[in-house]
Amino acid sequence: MISASQRFWFWAIVWVSVVTLSAPTVVVLGASFTAGNIIAFPPEGLSLRWYEKIALARDLQQAFLRSLIVSSICMLIAVPAGTLAGIALARYQLRCFNGVQMYLLLPFTIPLIGSGIGLMMMFGRLGALGSLWPVGFACAVINLPFIIWSVSASAAQLDPDLEHAAANCGAGRVQTFLYVTLPAVMPGVITGSLLMFILAMNEFLVSLLLVDARTVTLPVQIYNSIRSIITPDLAAVSVVFIVMAALAIAFLDRLVGLEIFLKSK
Amino acid sequence: MLEETQSSAAAVGAPAHAPPTVRVREVSMDFGTGSKAVDRASFDLSLGRFLTILGPSGSGKTTLLRMIAGFQRPTSGHILIGGKPVDAVPPDRRSIGMVFQKLALFPHMTAAENIAFPLKMRRFDPAFIPTRVRRFLELVRLDGYGNRRIHELSGGQQQRIAIARALVFEPALLLLDEPLAALDRKLREEMQLEFRRIQKELGVTTINVTHDQREALVVSDEIIIMDGGFIHQHASPALMYRSPADEFVARFIGVSSLIEGTATVGGLMLAGVTLAGSLSGSLQPGMAARGVVRAEQVRIARPEVSLAGCETVLLGTIADVIFEGERLLYVVEVPALSQNILVYHHDPESAAVFATDAPVSLGWRARDMIVFEARP
Ligand SMILES: Nc1ncnc2c1ncn2[C@@H]1O[C@H](COP(=O)(O)OP(=O)(O)O)[C@@H](O)[C@H]1O
Ligand SMILES: [Mg+2]
Repeated sequence: MISASQRFWFWAIVWVSVVTLSAPTVVVLGASFTAGNIIAFPPEGLSLRWYEKIALARDLQQAFLRSLIVSSICMLIAVPAGTLAGIALARYQLRCFNGVQMYLLLPFTIPLIGSGIGLMMMFGRLGALGSLWPVGFACAVINLPFIIWSVSASAAQLDPDLEHAAANCGAGRVQTFLYVTLPAVMPGVITGSLLMFILAMNEFLVSLLLVDARTVTLPVQIYNSIRSIITPDLAAVSVVFIVMAALAIAFLDRLVGLEIFLKSK
Repeated sequence: MLEETQSSAAAVGAPAHAPPTVRVREVSMDFGTGSKAVDRASFDLSLGRFLTILGPSGSGKTTLLRMIAGFQRPTSGHILIGGKPVDAVPPDRRSIGMVFQKLALFPHMTAAENIAFPLKMRRFDPAFIPTRVRRFLELVRLDGYGNRRIHELSGGQQQRIAIARALVFEPALLLLDEPLAALDRKLREEMQLEFRRIQKELGVTTINVTHDQREALVVSDEIIIMDGGFIHQHASPALMYRSPADEFVARFIGVSSLIEGTATVGGLMLAGVTLAGSLSGSLQPGMAARGVVRAEQVRIARPEVSLAGCETVLLGTIADVIFEGERLLYVVEVPALSQNILVYHHDPESAAVFATDAPVSLGWRARDMIVFEARP
């Protein structure tokens, strides 16, 4: 049995964790509804005026649109590449397996500023700076390990004979991939795709290095605003980000109901 | 080996006219790990017959089956199916259905979709697929389960779906790679008979792989015993049981006692005792040898009873009595041999049951102990 004091400490730890983890979100959420002119928590009165302001701000709208384009380009590149790489990593004995493992750890070992400067120099040489696709491409490159992970975790759970079984049923290599391997790793692909979308949407540092005045993405736009004066509209923008992430998670939860029928054994 | 294979295949009544459905000719597989996984295996299998490849774990059974299915290319040798060499034919172009060890059902499809998959891939008329799928769901006694997801079916039901998927396109050959190994004993025995029923009903030529000797004896027309990649014997279950080709086969099938000694004319000699037995094959008197006697061939009685007809009679005491339900297994300590002999007693209800430490006499006929050359 759990004693009363154990119960107390248990709940104390739970609540400290919940409060610490959610504090930034709660603060920004509260601040965004303020009726006053300065960013403050608790908010001074309640209103939606700052939401109205960002909804009407053309620069924010355009930055948001650009971020969506960047995310789409990133997914367009990363999802096929990451899916194929993830399957290959889990299903085949690769000669360069150790090298790939190291590569997968890069996002945690190389500071983004390093990759960002590298990419900036590369695209500068190509004369490609100033358009959006280099930003999307860069987001795909730096975040690729995440989707590879997600897909290979899915693929590693599959019966290694699944593809043999497909061949035995008369499916050629392409049919086997389309009808058996790909659907079977779909939960990993979906998880990875949403992750790539969110990461590209939020990517700040690398965007900062690759954009110019014409191609500012949303995180960079917010950063530019902070440098002048901090007004509550920034809190409202942050809330939009939070809502998007929450939607992505809800979406994932719906779709990864897929995983339930993938647990055949 | 080749001669023996063919002669024993003839012995089980393979029709001589039609060419065998499967011919395996001197097939070897070397993974470069030192010893060969399959070592010059050769056998023929005629239309409609049920062959079981029996051997301990790691003996190369799966490797042999995968080469027949086309997932692995033999290092050397040839495989012919329906009279045609398949060395250059990819697995999806061979007319072979396979049930895998872990079934490998497609997790994202329903039971019916799994069964329909080979028909779609093999371009059967789409109009006729639903009927065919329904017929095979009936064949495996799962009508009404077609819309279930794979994870919504029990282990035994998944087995049935896997066999329906393997058979639905009417392949020339069915391969079973220990698909029953993971089931509990009762369900396994039920499924063994079920596989046999379906195989008989469709008349499909079948190669089954197992390490369960009981399963091999129960379901097969023919058995191949493999060890270390090498085929020891290919024969009918009864022949395999009655005349094992070598010591490995004798020990692998049935419950036997093994006695070490020297071959003599008419038996085996050890520590001054001569035991009546029959020498196998090329064994010459004076060679190191092992006698193998099956537990059910040994007769047991009270010491004063004479065992008529037994050339070998030995005295011993009961060291242990193991109750197996339909029979008893006595472990009898025999001082003259300084070892134990196993004896089956098939009537546990009878009055003539011995207790531990009881003195007994054991006997067997010369033809019931086979003496083999001792291999290290
Ligand atoms: N892909 C492989 N690479 C290397 N060795 C293998 C491979 N597959 C099987 N082997 C080896 O070949 C031998 C036979 O294996 P297998 O055919 O799986 O035996 P069984 O099915 O009778 O248990 C084993 O010693 C196994 O380790
Ligand atoms: Mg095996």
